[in-house]
Amino acid sequence: MSLERKDEHDHKGWMESRDLTPIESVYLTVLVWLDKRLRVVDYLEILEDLYYKVNMQMPKSHTEQYNLDNKFWYWYPLYALGSFSTVAYVVAAISGALLGFYYAPAAAAADGTPTIAYDSVLIIMGQLNLGYFLRSVHRWAAQIMVAAVFLHMLRVYFTGAYKEPRELNWIIGIVLISLTLVFGYTGYLLPWSQLSYWAGQIGVEMSLSIPLIGEWVAQLLFGGFSLSQSTLQRMYILHVFFLPFITTAIIAVHIGIVWMQGIAEPH
Amino acid sequence: MTDDQSADSGNQRRDVVVPLRVYKTVTVFSTLFAVASVVAGFILVDVATQLASAPVSEIDVPVAIAGIGAILAGTVVYAFSTRFRTEEMGKSKDDADKPSDNG
Repeated sequence: MSLERKDEHDHKGWMESRDLTPIESVYLTVLVWLDKRLRVVDYLEILEDLYYKVNMQMPKSHTEQYNLDNKFWYWYPLYALGSFSTVAYVVAAISGALLGFYYAPAAAAADGTPTIAYDSVLIIMGQLNLGYFLRSVHRWAAQIMVAAVFLHMLRVYFTGAYKEPRELNWIIGIVLISLTLVFGYTGYLLPWSQLSYWAGQIGVEMSLSIPLIGEWVAQLLFGGFSLSQSTLQRMYILHVFFLPFITTAIIAVHIGIVWMQGIAEPH
Repeated sequence: MTDDQSADSGNQRRDVVVPLRVYKTVTVFSTLFAVASVVAGFILVDVATQLASAPVSEIDVPVAIAGIGAILAGTVVYAFSTRFRTEEMGKSKDDADKPSDNG
């Protein structure tokens, strides 16, 4: 029994029946030879078939059912912001993992020379092949993620997508936007440049300004009341160990709930 | 064979009607080949000219020519593939029998 589909077509003889130039018949013979061996077209046809089957199962959306598309279409691009944030997160994770091969979180060198951390950033930017590119990708992915997450929250708010039964996911989203900002802050301190250092100082003083538990918070987050190696070490571990695990897990839950509940339809 | 050169004067495009499956093969593989050889061609040109930064005396001429050749080969393969079509794919000017209800 053959797995080949049966049809009327003369698979072997059709080429002779046509008046092809030598180049054309060689061209076709080569491509058909490749196709029989690699079967790319067969797999593409399977994908095409799947595409149509999947789409036939899609029910009409609320906007289609009640003909709201003409009033609502300009919101649709904003429904991509959640995916956009996720993509930015994945890009930042990959580029960050690569940066981790070259960055060293050491605030040593008290003799006036630049610190090891700052030096490793200079090496990445100035000497490492594609290092400038890599760090730029990481930075832009971070900037875009913060922006996209914030706009995603605005979209959810203004389309009322946070309402019952999606309150839980809204709360999780608030946790996620906070984690994103902490990600940004800890990453901002890592180059241990002037900008980083004084941003860290502001962080310490903001912690200290908290009533009652301020000193404890400053000790916990920054490892002291002034910036030191333990500050940089904590920021580093938060940035590359704690936050990635926590954030990835919560993003998975967030997306899982969207998957279970479906996209909120506009009303 | 279908060689309708007669109808369109001035445009000597050759048309070869092939079965749908062969048409798919031609489209997929010629596009793959064209993309791969154009990209490879640019890589070769970059290698030969050190990312267009080498002084003229240091350009590796054989590699540069190979790169341009690969780009041209990809273009030719792609252009050549456009002469093949299936039964249903009439030229647009012959499609008067189909209602234009796209709008």
